Amino acid sequence: MQTLHVDVDTWLHRLTPRVKLLALAALGVVLFLTQSVPLLACANLVGAGLYFRAGLSIRDALRRLRPILISIAVLAVFAALVGPLHAAIVTALRLTALALFAATVTATTSTAAFIDEITALAMPVEKVSPLKAADIGLAIGLVIRFVPEILDRYQAIREAHQARGIKVRLVTTLAPLIILTLRDADNIAAAIDARGIRRQ
Amino acid sequence: MDIRFENAGVDYGIRTALVPLSLTLQEHRIGVIGLNGSGKTTFARLINGLVKPTTGRIVVDGLDTVSDAGAVLGKVGYIFQSPQNQIILPIVRDDIAYGLKARGYDKSRIEAAVDGILDRFGVRHLAARRAHELSGGELQMAALCSVLVTGPDILILDEPTNQLDLRNRALVQKTMATLPENVIVISHDLPLLEDFERVLVFDQGRLVVDAPAAAAIARYKEMAA
Repeated sequence: MQTLHVDVDTWLHRLTPRVKLLALAALGVVLFLTQSVPLLACANLVGAGLYFRAGLSIRDALRRLRPILISIAVLAVFAALVGPLHAAIVTALRLTALALFAATVTATTSTAAFIDEITALAMPVEKVSPLKAADIGLAIGLVIRFVPEILDRYQAIREAHQARGIKVRLVTTLAPLIILTLRDADNIAAAIDARGIRRQ
Repeated sequence: MDIRFENAGVDYGIRTALVPLSLTLQEHRIGVIGLNGSGKTTFARLINGLVKPTTGRIVVDGLDTVSDAGAVLGKVGYIFQSPQNQIILPIVRDDIAYGLKARGYDKSRIEAAVDGILDRFGVRHLAARRAHELSGGELQMAALCSVLVTGPDILILDEPTNQLDLRNRALVQKTMATLPENVIVISHDLPLLEDFERVLVFDQGRLVVDAPAAAAIARYKEMAA
């Protein structure tokens, strides 16, 4: 099991998860309130500055962002085709800035700290709904835990295709990826139950 | 330990995973063997309540695995075939602590328990390691610690030496031999079970042999030939 957390000591790592998560939420709101291209460009510069100081090598930092940047590019091209260019640029800058800030938080916060903090922040939800705060924390922790696993699995499926001389296509990689991911999800759910984590 | 199967079986409608059986398990170390799909994992998962019987019931030290499911989970630890799927948090210490945290232990008690279990197996050096950097044997040790730290009386290990090299296999075997907990091991690794008090052999969802290790293994080899 790999982790998105980078185990080094920077001032970003030393910030409490609560401060980082609340700052990320506030930034998300601000980014969606503004339409200003210069402001959004500045947010991207700040986001990139923070992200590249999170302790990752440039290569790893870019590799992590590649899937989300490709998705944003596709979305921006689509937005430009169906609407004004300005709106497409705003969308792309907004999402890229958000991705950079979120990736910074993920890289500088351990999964355990994430789970603890989300659990603490979700306590009010427990009082007004049947949901358990610990389950919400665990669910989000598992999502973070799963991301590198899914990417590794995708890479293994690609290599299997290449080894057999089969052209790598989305349609032939997606089905095994989903099946393997669901099977592992089942096993992990069984392990969580077996360890008595959700029944306490 | 007292595990009682009272006419317990599992039938999924389209196939019978386990033909109803009645038996009592009390030995310290019990092996479970059988060909793939023979029902041995279903049998083991019935013991900790991960699989519910469709007929009969299973009682573990007086607790019904269905009506007392929570208590049974606390009593029966389970280590899965792929320990990497069992380890939830990336850092070994965090993962071992997580089961205790979920039970509401305070921080100092958790720290003491985690240090205690790491020292018990001589793996304190793994505490700060990332799970994906561990060898197969180290991963098994981390999974073992994460399960035993919660204090189960019974431990079920599903294929604990699967895909391990000789050194890591020896490490797991040596560790298993010293466990004071009652141990139930599902395995294709027959030498691992040679000194077990009792071995059960399953075939096509049916318990076909229930005997001391030497006799059961010999019979299984005949069946598989």
